[in-house]
Amino acid sequence: MALNIIVCIKQVPDPEHYSKVTLDPVTKTIRREGIPAVINPVDKNALEEGFSIRDSYSGKIAVLTMGPPQARRALEEALAMGADEAVLLCDRAFAEADTLATAYSLACAVRTMGHFDLILCGNETADSGTSQVGPQLAQFLGISCVSNVKEITFEEEMSLVAKQSLEGGYMKVRLRLPALITVRKEINKPRLATAFGIIEAAEKEIKEWCCKDVEVDSNCIGSAGSPTKVLEPIELPRRKGEIMTGSPEEAVKKAIEKVRELGGLT
Amino acid sequence: MEQRRGRLLPVCFELLGKGQELCQNLGAELAAVLVGNELGELASELMDYGCQKVYLAEDPRLSLYQGDLYTDLLSQFIGENKPEIVLWGATTTGTELSARVAARLNIGLTAHCIDLHIEDIDGEPRLVQVVPGWSGNLAVKIISRTTPQMATVKPGLMSKAPQMKVEGEIILVAADLIESVIASEAKQSRAETIEVVEEEAEEMPLEKAEIVVSGGWGLNAAGGFAPVEEIARILGGAVAGTRPVFDKGWIPESRMIGISGKIVSPRLFISLGASGATQYTTGFTGSQVILAVDQNPNAAIFEIADIGIVGNLQTVLPLLIKELKGAA
Amino acid sequence: MDFNLTRQHEMLRDTVHQFADSELAPRALELDEKGDFPFDIVKKCGEMGLVGIMTPKEYGGTDMGHLARMIAIEEISRVYPPLGFFFQTGHLGHWSVQTYGTEEQKKKYLPSLCKGEKIMFDAITEASGGSDPAAAQTTAKLEGDEFVVNGRKVFITLPGAADFGCILARMDDKFSEILVEKGTPGFEVVRREKIAGFRTTPVNELVFTNCHVPKSNLLGQEGRGLAIALTTVAVIGRTGVAGIGLGIARGCYEAALNFAKERKLYGKSISELQAIQFALVDMNVEIEATRWLSYYAAWQIDQGKGLREIGADIARAKLLGCDLANRVAPEAVQLMGGYGVTAEYHVTRRLNDALQLFPAAGTQEIMKLTIGRSILA
Repeated sequence: MALNIIVCIKQVPDPEHYSKVTLDPVTKTIRREGIPAVINPVDKNALEEGFSIRDSYSGKIAVLTMGPPQARRALEEALAMGADEAVLLCDRAFAEADTLATAYSLACAVRTMGHFDLILCGNETADSGTSQVGPQLAQFLGISCVSNVKEITFEEEMSLVAKQSLEGGYMKVRLRLPALITVRKEINKPRLATAFGIIEAAEKEIKEWCCKDVEVDSNCIGSAGSPTKVLEPIELPRRKGEIMTGSPEEAVKKAIEKVRELGGLT
Repeated sequence: MEQRRGRLLPVCFELLGKGQELCQNLGAELAAVLVGNELGELASELMDYGCQKVYLAEDPRLSLYQGDLYTDLLSQFIGENKPEIVLWGATTTGTELSARVAARLNIGLTAHCIDLHIEDIDGEPRLVQVVPGWSGNLAVKIISRTTPQMATVKPGLMSKAPQMKVEGEIILVAADLIESVIASEAKQSRAETIEVVEEEAEEMPLEKAEIVVSGGWGLNAAGGFAPVEEIARILGGAVAGTRPVFDKGWIPESRMIGISGKIVSPRLFISLGASGATQYTTGFTGSQVILAVDQNPNAAIFEIADIGIVGNLQTVLPLLIKELKGAA
Repeated sequence: MDFNLTRQHEMLRDTVHQFADSELAPRALELDEKGDFPFDIVKKCGEMGLVGIMTPKEYGGTDMGHLARMIAIEEISRVYPPLGFFFQTGHLGHWSVQTYGTEEQKKKYLPSLCKGEKIMFDAITEASGGSDPAAAQTTAKLEGDEFVVNGRKVFITLPGAADFGCILARMDDKFSEILVEKGTPGFEVVRREKIAGFRTTPVNELVFTNCHVPKSNLLGQEGRGLAIALTTVAVIGRTGVAGIGLGIARGCYEAALNFAKERKLYGKSISELQAIQFALVDMNVEIEATRWLSYYAAWQIDQGKGLREIGADIARAKLLGCDLANRVAPEAVQLMGGYGVTAEYHVTRRLNDALQLFPAAGTQEIMKLTIGRSILA
């Protein structure tokens, strides 16, 4: 049973540097200059799950991302980790897309990539964290999906059981392939790229597709295809708090006093 | 309204609270949809909280959540009934299902809103969906250009609805709609939910803790996560952390605080070494008392903390531990 | 002229960086305390294709070259220098086999070395002085189909953990390199030195008493042993030391930098004090200078240049790399005050490791002699 697996990844600002990311009050866009970009952490778990399935059942892993030209680096890393081929969906027209337009664009790319048996995604991105793109992509492709999965068990060819983590428990769903699964971090531990992987990646192709290469309806992509619109930023209410003064010892003592006063400690 | 094994999830009542408010503003009717089996009792419960109409899609084959069936059913239902606004709880199922319905109907969906209100946008009353922004205690307003306007809200964020008994109407979703949806799915039989299992939590869930001690990535340069665990131990509180700390594997996902993790409102929330990105702070702004420690005096966390200590974490934390030990 | 590292170099640095942070950092103190050779970690390095990073693919290597090797050693040494030292010394014999060995020897030894399954030592130094290799007294006499080896090697790194090695032995008035397997009768590892740093890479004394080895264990041309040994030490040993020095310096510098940002005195971060800033700047500038000079030396090896052309560049890299680590480490200790001398802050162990670089792959004085010869030629 050789499986064609597509893993969708996203390049995001390195979560370790999130305190440096700011919202530009004028353009209402996120400012991320100087912050290194990485593969969205849980997307690596999706890749690892794909590799793991390929290790057990043989198959091919294709990695897909929609992003600006520098997203290419994320694909290079995925190839070095062990993916077999890569597709970068890159075009100004795709930019400023909300989750609906993103999912639609990815669906068009997937259709162009050809036959697939399974699509794997990370459950959410570290930057926007909506968890919407995976299920919406599945819907556009007309396949079933299970999100937030912590375990995948193959039953027989083309059929698997996904264990979905629920609040206070879990749900088991039997899926017939083709299907889409979004994974949680706890599902596995992603492998590091090895020097072997890095040199092998040099032989692998990264296809770069723009609008023309993929059949899209221009009303459904980018800003035009995004029903949700971002308005202005607002400041959230602050508390009238105070910062304790004095030496560290004094500040700590005062803080604990205050906490007691406010009823935090009994 | 999400029900599991015959019980409404708590987030339903939080949504109803917001729903009541929005309906008052818009002069609209508050309705709820339930999908499952034998839902009569739940319907009455909902009418105790202001639901003027409760739609029930009942069938034994719907008693367990089935992704494809529920998506088809709800999409058609919404298409036929044309509500102005649809609210969903941002649970695992709610998030997945709302996303699929939005794609099916080609409409906008805004995830994990921290506030919802009506505003006049271009002369028309629209639902403004507020989501966390980045640093600096900012949030962002979003609107949908499509109808219905859909949004999800994380459990624990909004307050439970006040009781408001109404003479509501229970409307059964047409059996032939249910039948046709089930039949067309059966032809494809792509997915089947086998079981839904509730597990005993190993430890007290974070949401129930009276005291929560949370650590951020600032602890990395200051010797590690141990002080968080130590302070939690001394105070009998729960350990928690931010997203970067979870990404590094210091805490499991169940202890991650924030808009993508847990929303908590304990008596005392202590944040150590986290700068206060809005995605994190919205996870605990409902706390009674907030104490924050960070080495950066300009960190956004001090805007929402009641009490702040600015200093080198390596110096302050041992002192804090010593004082708390003595006080305990 | 493209002054950029390749994407491959970048990806290699990223992955070794992550490997070092996740696998080495948590164990560093414990490893040093126990002092046992980290066989499991070397095996992992083998699986990652790092041990054979300069070895052709047909023998199990990844053939990324000497600059890649230096970057890998740098990233590893940033966190756990003793493992960097393993690469520096373990690669000596490995590269000698790869460069001077017969096809049969390459096929026999290289694959398991690349996998990290076998360890190899390289023994040159004797009591007569590592700086005077031509005065070595260990002999090898051909008797029929075997060499008979007699002698004593001192300050050799790795034999305690190794499976086999090559030794420099005098044959009449010339030298040859001879491979010897551990366990061969007449070959004993007799002591382990208590050294200041590199606590997990054993430094041993070897004794050969009428040790018989097959004739086929000759490595390279008979009589060419000294040239082989010295070339190997330059190409592999000195570049390795430069990488370790860079890594140690960076590890200490980053620790000092983070500490300076966090630490408050007189109500503000000490990073706002000029004295501290200047100390950090000095470290930063020296690291950058040493880095690019060292990368240049390694890059030239990858370009196929011979020792005659780049011997002095390689010597400069060792000279600076060793001095760099030994200047930055104590500086970092000072900057961090009381915390600097505490084990948990990981600077003192790096300082001890830095000391070990002085006699490694040739002393600083030997480096200067080499460079002197080149500039005065």
